[in-house]
Amino acid sequence: MPIQDRTNEFRACVESIRNRSAVPPRTAEAKQRLLQSHGKGGAKSEFSRMASAIGKDISSTTIKLGKLAQLAKRKTLFDDRPVEISELTFIIKQDIAGINRQIAALQSYVKQCNAQGSSKSSEGKQIDEHNHNIVMMLQSKLATTSMSFKDVLEVRTQNMKESKDRTEQFMFSTASAAHQTPPNSLLLNGRHDPMGDGSLGRLNGNGKGKGRAPQNGDVLALDLDSAEEGNAQNGGNPFMQMQLVEQQDSYIQSRSTAIESIESTIAELGQIFTQLANMVAEQRETVQRIDADTIDIASNVGGAQRELLKYYASISSNRWLMLKVFGVLIVFTSPPQFLVFILVS
Amino acid sequence: MKIYSLSVLLAPPSGSSAVLSTSSDLSSFSFYQRGSVAEFLTFFTKTVVERTPQGQRQSVEENAYTAHVYNRGGAEQLAAIIVTDHEYPVRPAFSLLTKVLDDFAAKVPQSSFSNPSSISFPEIENYVKKYQDPRQADAIMRVQQELDETKIVLHKTIESVLQRGEKLDNLVERSNALSTQSKMFYKTAKKQNSCCVIM
Repeated sequence: MPIQDRTNEFRACVESIRNRSAVPPRTAEAKQRLLQSHGKGGAKSEFSRMASAIGKDISSTTIKLGKLAQLAKRKTLFDDRPVEISELTFIIKQDIAGINRQIAALQSYVKQCNAQGSSKSSEGKQIDEHNHNIVMMLQSKLATTSMSFKDVLEVRTQNMKESKDRTEQFMFSTASAAHQTPPNSLLLNGRHDPMGDGSLGRLNGNGKGKGRAPQNGDVLALDLDSAEEGNAQNGGNPFMQMQLVEQQDSYIQSRSTAIESIESTIAELGQIFTQLANMVAEQRETVQRIDADTIDIASNVGGAQRELLKYYASISSNRWLMLKVFGVLIVFTSPPQFLVFILVS
Repeated sequence: MKIYSLSVLLAPPSGSSAVLSTSSDLSSFSFYQRGSVAEFLTFFTKTVVERTPQGQRQSVEENAYTAHVYNRGGAEQLAAIIVTDHEYPVRPAFSLLTKVLDDFAAKVPQSSFSNPSSISFPEIENYVKKYQDPRQADAIMRVQQELDETKIVLHKTIESVLQRGEKLDNLVERSNALSTQSKMFYKTAKKQNSCCVIM
């Protein structure tokens, strides 16, 4: 939502309230307050003007970005409009750079205002906070816009790659049908795997494999042209030159593919490390549970041992009670004689 | 994959090239073949360099040999050519050529170009020896190889961490069971004390 300038509305409100509650001693105060705000309005409105300009630019850039996203989403093979897309990309990039500069200027302006009149009043602090918040909001909006721009560019490169693969598929089939490698040693040899050692798809078949296909497509497409025309007219220098340029290109391309594969390997390694760290972190929780359990076990067993010791102590100290128990038993098991004995005694 | 020879030539665009420095490794040929192979290599080298325009890279196949040539031109009009077998990877070959040319241009002053026999560039021998195994010598390939080894090590590490996880789960179960049992043990012992206080 772009910045809206509502000071006029605010002033209208103030006017209407003043008219409604027209208390004479307060009019002077109210007038003073209005004058004050009007006086500071010069500096404030400068800031709000700049901020509103930036907001407008951001919204227009967002609209252009939406158009670019539409264009980039098209997956047709032949109807691609690269000129428009590149123009639009260029314009959006410049816009984003310009907005960045404007925001930086706004920020420095805010700092300048703060340095000039550091008002200790609560009103001044609110104004400062408000300015700061607006700058933050503009920056975050610009950040989201550039994020979406990057996403659109990624979608675009992906679609381009897909369409290139498809064209290469079609051209590849026609090339292999019509192409016959002349044994002439001055034509290109078609080995162009990036690492050059044929060990593709060893561990990361992804980056290397993908990097290989379009390259072959380039070379084969050109070979088809040159082969045809070389067979037609006894191929002269211009075609060899083109092949040489193509080889120069393919050397550089192969280097860049190799380095890209290294980069992707490193990224994979980074991911593996993160996964490793995750797994170890999960296991730490398990280890803590085991620890707690072991402590419980130790305390339980210790308590049980205490109880048993107490029991044992009570048993061993109660021995003379045991004698009493046995005495009672004997009295009851041989009743007649003892009963008589006791009765008599 | 082998390098048969590596040479630096002066290649003016007018057509006649002169060999400034060369080094070859013909150990794979029998002793009596070496002379003819060396002659053939020299001829092959000169011909291909003469037919490579300035500022271009080219690869030429010929029976059992592949020549990669880079004609750098520039102020010194140097060209470097490497003759290898078919399996030698292309990209490191060209990186080697660029490196050799830079080294040569740095070490050997241009004045001695007209007198090839006075040029001494022993590093060219070292290059041939070192690059017999391009995987170790070429920086990019070496880095890629080390990264692959690291990846293997990390895969093994993750497997062992998974096993550790399993064992830890096992331990947790057992410790849980033990804890319950020890609690029952404690309770029974306590009950013993409290229930038989009759006497």
